[in-house]
This record gives sequence, C-alpha cells and structure tokens, in this order.
Amino acid sequence: METFWDFFSFSNANVRYVTFGAILVTSSAAIVGCFTFLRKKALVGDAVAHAVLPGVCLGFILSGVKDPLWIIIGAFITGWLSLLLMDQIISKSRIKEDSAIAFILSTFFGLGILLLTWIQKSGNAAQSGLDQFLFGKAAALVGNDLIVFSFVAIALIALVVLFFKEFQLLGFNKDFAQSMGLPVKFIEFISTSMTVLAVVAGIQAVGVVLMAAMLITPPAAARYWTNSLKKMLVLAAIFGGFSGLAGAYISYLAPAMPTGPWIVVVVSFIAFFSFFFAPEKGIIPLAKLQKRNQQKITDENILKGLYHLREDEQHLKQTFTFNELLEKRPMQEDRFQKSIKRLSRKGLIKLENRTLDLSDNGLILAKRVVKLHRLWELYLSEFLNKAPDQVHDEAETIEHLITPELEKQLEERLNFPNKDPHNEDIPY
Amino acid sequence: MSNKQPALEVRDLTAGYQKKPVLWSIYLEVPQGALACIVGPNGAGKSTFIKTVMDLIPATAGDVKIFGKSLAEVRNRISYVPQRESVDWDFPASAYDVVLMGRYGKLGLFKRAGKEDKRIAMQALEKVGMESFASRQISQLSGGQQQRVFLARALAQEADLYFLDEPFAGVDASTEKAIIDLLREMSREGKTIIAVHHDLQSAPSYFDYAILLNLRLIAAGPTETVFIDKNLQDTYGGKLTLLTEVGDLMKNKRFPEREK
Repeated sequence: METFWDFFSFSNANVRYVTFGAILVTSSAAIVGCFTFLRKKALVGDAVAHAVLPGVCLGFILSGVKDPLWIIIGAFITGWLSLLLMDQIISKSRIKEDSAIAFILSTFFGLGILLLTWIQKSGNAAQSGLDQFLFGKAAALVGNDLIVFSFVAIALIALVVLFFKEFQLLGFNKDFAQSMGLPVKFIEFISTSMTVLAVVAGIQAVGVVLMAAMLITPPAAARYWTNSLKKMLVLAAIFGGFSGLAGAYISYLAPAMPTGPWIVVVVSFIAFFSFFFAPEKGIIPLAKLQKRNQQKITDENILKGLYHLREDEQHLKQTFTFNELLEKRPMQEDRFQKSIKRLSRKGLIKLENRTLDLSDNGLILAKRVVKLHRLWELYLSEFLNKAPDQVHDEAETIEHLITPELEKQLEERLNFPNKDPHNEDIPY
Repeated sequence: MSNKQPALEVRDLTAGYQKKPVLWSIYLEVPQGALACIVGPNGAGKSTFIKTVMDLIPATAGDVKIFGKSLAEVRNRISYVPQRESVDWDFPASAYDVVLMGRYGKLGLFKRAGKEDKRIAMQALEKVGMESFASRQISQLSGGQQQRVFLARALAQEADLYFLDEPFAGVDASTEKAIIDLLREMSREGKTIIAVHHDLQSAPSYFDYAILLNLRLIAAGPTETVFIDKNLQDTYGGKLTLLTEVGDLMKNKRFPEREK
C-alpha cells in the first residue's frame, strides 16, 4: 500500500515522467488504432508491429548507440517496407491477404530476432536494453527516449485532429472519398505512416510483440460504449491511457518485470468487461433483454389464458385453479410459478389457495393481448389473404410485440372490427 | 438540348479486373438533363462502367469527357452514389454525419464543415424525408432508409451529374417511389442522372434514356427507341458466351487487352 501512495502521489519526478510518457504513447496508439480497427486492418497492424523489430536493430547497428531517433527511422523504414511487400504479394501473386500477412509478420520478426541475437553476441556494451523492445519496459522511458517517443505521440494526436474528417470518410466509404477527388492515396499514406509511428512510439513501453493489442483492443472496447466516432476516440484514449498508467505502476513495483504483458492484460480486462457489460451491445444486457422478453411472453400468456377461460364460461365464472389454466395453456412449471408470483406482485392477478383471478388492471392487459392477437389474425387474412387456419401461430408471437403506435394503426386500418377470422369477439 | 455539350461522352472505354476484360470498347453519349438507366444482366459490367468513368477503376483504354472536360476539371459537379452494400453500416456515424460527408469534396483538406454546409446537409435530409432520423445511428436504419441517406449525401454535393449504383436495390416500395420522384424533380431542374437499374419492367416508365450493356454496349439512346425486342434479346439472350470465352482466354494467357 505504501508503494501505491509513493507512486500515485507522483512526488518522484522520475515517476512522473515515466507515467506521463506511458500514458501518452498508449493513448495515442489507441487513437490511431481506432482508424486501423474501423478500416478492418487489425491484422495488418499486428504484422507492422512485428516488422519494426529488424528496423530497430538496423538503427542500432548503423548508429552504434541506442538512440531513439535512429531507432524510429529504422523502424519506420522496415514497417513501411513490410506493408509495401504485403500489397505486392496480394496484388501480384496467388497468395491471399491472410497468408500474406502471416508470411510478412513471421519473416520480418524472424529477421528482427536474428539481428537482435547477433547484436547481443557482438559484445557491444551500448546494446543493453535493446531486448526491452520485445516486451517493453515503461521504467526505461526516461531522458531522450521520453522526449522523442512523447513527441511522436503528441504529433500523432495532432494529426488525427487535423485529418479527422478525411480519416472518417476513408474509414466509412473509400470509393466515395475518391470519387470526390480527395487525395485518397496521400491520406492513406499518412494514415498508414501513423500506424507505423504509433507502433514505434509504443515499443519502449509496450514492446513490439504486443503492440498490436494497444492499437486494436482499446478501440474494440470503446466501440461497445458509443455510436459516435468522436466519443469512440476519446474512450479509446482513456482505455489505452489507463492501461499505460497501470503498466508504469507495475514497472515501478517490479523493475525486472516486462511491462508490455501487464499493459495488455489490463486493457484486455477492460475489453472483456465491455464485451460483457456495455449497455445495449454487451452480452449480459442482451441476455437480460431476452429474458425480459421471455417473461413478458409468459406473463401475457397467463393473463390471456385466464381471459380465455372466462370466455369459455361466458364470463360467469372468474376464478380458476392452476390446473384449469395449465390445461388451457400448457407451459413449463417453473416459468409458470415465477410468472404468477410476478403477476401477483404487480397486482395483475389475485392469487388464493392455488386459484387465480384477473384483477381490474390485469383484465385490461389481458383484453389488450387478446385483442391484438385477433386483430393481427384479421389483418393477415384480410390484407395477405391467408386462410383462417394459417394465422394463429404467427399472431401468438406478434401479440406480445406490438407497440401502442402500431396498435392504433392496426385498429384504424381494420376500422375497429368486432370479429376475428374465427368469428370470435374482439374485446376493446 | 442539341447545342449543349453532352453530360457524358465515352469513347472506346475498356476496363477489366485482373486482366479479365469486363467492358469492351464502349462508345456512348448521354445528353444533359437525361434521366438515364444502365440496364443489363448480372456481371454485365454496369457498376464497372460507372466506376471506370469515375476513375475508381483504371481504364485499360479509352477516353471519358464530362461536360466536354476531363474528370479532374469537373469533379465538383459530379456525384457518385455507391452500392449500399459496399460500405459497413456498423460504422460509428449518424445519418447526419454521413450526409455531411457530401460536403467534404467542396471543403477540401483540413477545413471543417461550416454553418452553410450543415444547413445544406440538413436540407438534403429533409428532401429525402429523413430529417427525423438525423441523429439515428446508421446501422439502425432500414435498407430503404440507408439508401435515402446515401441519396441525401449526393444531394448535399450539389452536383450537376449524378451516378447512382443500384439506387433501388433492397428498398421498400414507398422508398422506391420517393427516390424516383426525387430523381424526376432533379432531372426537371436540368441535372443529369445515370443510374444502374435492374428491373426491366419499370425501366421504361422511370427513365427517359437507356444504356443497354452486356460487356459491350448493345444500345444507348432515348428509352423508347432502345427498349425494343431485338436489343433486349441481344442484352439478355446469352448470345455473348463467345465474348466471355475470349475474356477468360485473355486472363488465363495473361494477354494484354490492347497492343502496347
């Protein structure tokens, strides 16, 4: 706990810098990644992330020192080279995109590891720390590294603001953008270069192996919470930045630990949380909605069943036993039990000694369901010429779905009829 | 009309995908103010024709003039409505956002949409009867509504020549009527409209100019002169298998479409 406060009080200047840098590079990667994600280039992003490794090593070999500028230049060149090769393979050979991506990723990454091993064996003392670029080490984000990588990250965010309109259009409808004469090739070049640079900026904190997760996971999570592109960019930046913060903290707690995997674990947790719990789109809210629909169907079927029983007795008898109802309207025992408890709680039925009766409010609802069922049957037979024996099953579902607006339309279209196709009364 | 430049003039236009020719030496003219349809069977190259004219697919040969000028000179006067299925409607955008995109061409790089652009976008939505759906996420729109949004985006471009790729595909009857009414109104205002159309039955009543296409141009001209049995049979009769075979041969042998 003490270390927690030590860290989050940010009293140590070094902690401040590292944290600031880690948040900046992860959130900028997340922002740039939104467009990679929307253009469905996630796998390409992964390939590029791996393909910068040989460039990092070449930058080191050519300069002889671990200088972030050389590393960025090297990474940028091999990152772009991998993209160009991928395009050439797809357009000039029989190899399809997925195979081309896998081929380029493994070739470039293999080459990178080869060079890295060679550098380490060469005994150059300056190479210490180069292997951190594989899995990241946020704590090393100091001095020159911090300045250069942060500058790249800020430049990326500025470019997204500047090109927002163009990136939006290219993501949604590239053909249309081109038809209007926008310089699509140029914008794509900028956009792709930004993906490469986002990877480069993140390699110190996250590492090349897992960098693609920083591009793709925050946007994937953010998409669950909003339908607005601007909000999606902000949310992705927050998710990415938060995981960067977590990475910096881990790096502070356990300096020997690579930070990339931790950052990815945190951001993946956010993503899974979103997949499950985001309102409207999440798995659990959707499941709940389905459950509520099921409950509504069961409840309304019970009310309807009680009304049918009353009709059978010419409305002279109003109280019926469970068995009478279940005979009229068979349903699963546990659903039935839960439903009558729910209905009784809502005051829609009167429940006494295993007998049931509709309350006043219950009767109104029951009549409405019966009415909708019969109106729909009539609608199908009048407007779609369906035989009376073919309309019941469909009406069974539709009766639970129709909104008050549709109800009104249906009544007016049919001009408030009294009888359905089976010559049964339509209650109003 | 006769003293005006044609809206579209195409000479010897030839294009293809991966060495397989899809359009063979097309010559045609469409006069200004025409409400024209491009008709032909599946795979006849109707969309390819529009895309080649718009330079979205490189032509292997030929020349395109629009209002007597090259495409680059008159881009701001042309609007292209792609097939509805060609985009991912799950993109995070509202109907209004999409319509506003119609203004991006005139804005150019970096500039943001101003008040006037926003007003024009909103007006375009009203014209297609979608103003109450302005803030609706596009994935929640029906197929017909999505098509209307695309049309509104085209209106926001304030162009003189409109290319529409299957504007009636997958739309309900009321949308089809709304769209054709709108196209007629635009045509009356002197705009030229060229639309890919699938329904032979409605084509003569909807359009006053027709282009019959099946890899080659079969006929182009006023609908009543073009829609005759012989032309329709040539377009749909399956007599062009020889042409397809030559195309396949070109692809398999990697043969150039034109001597270089």
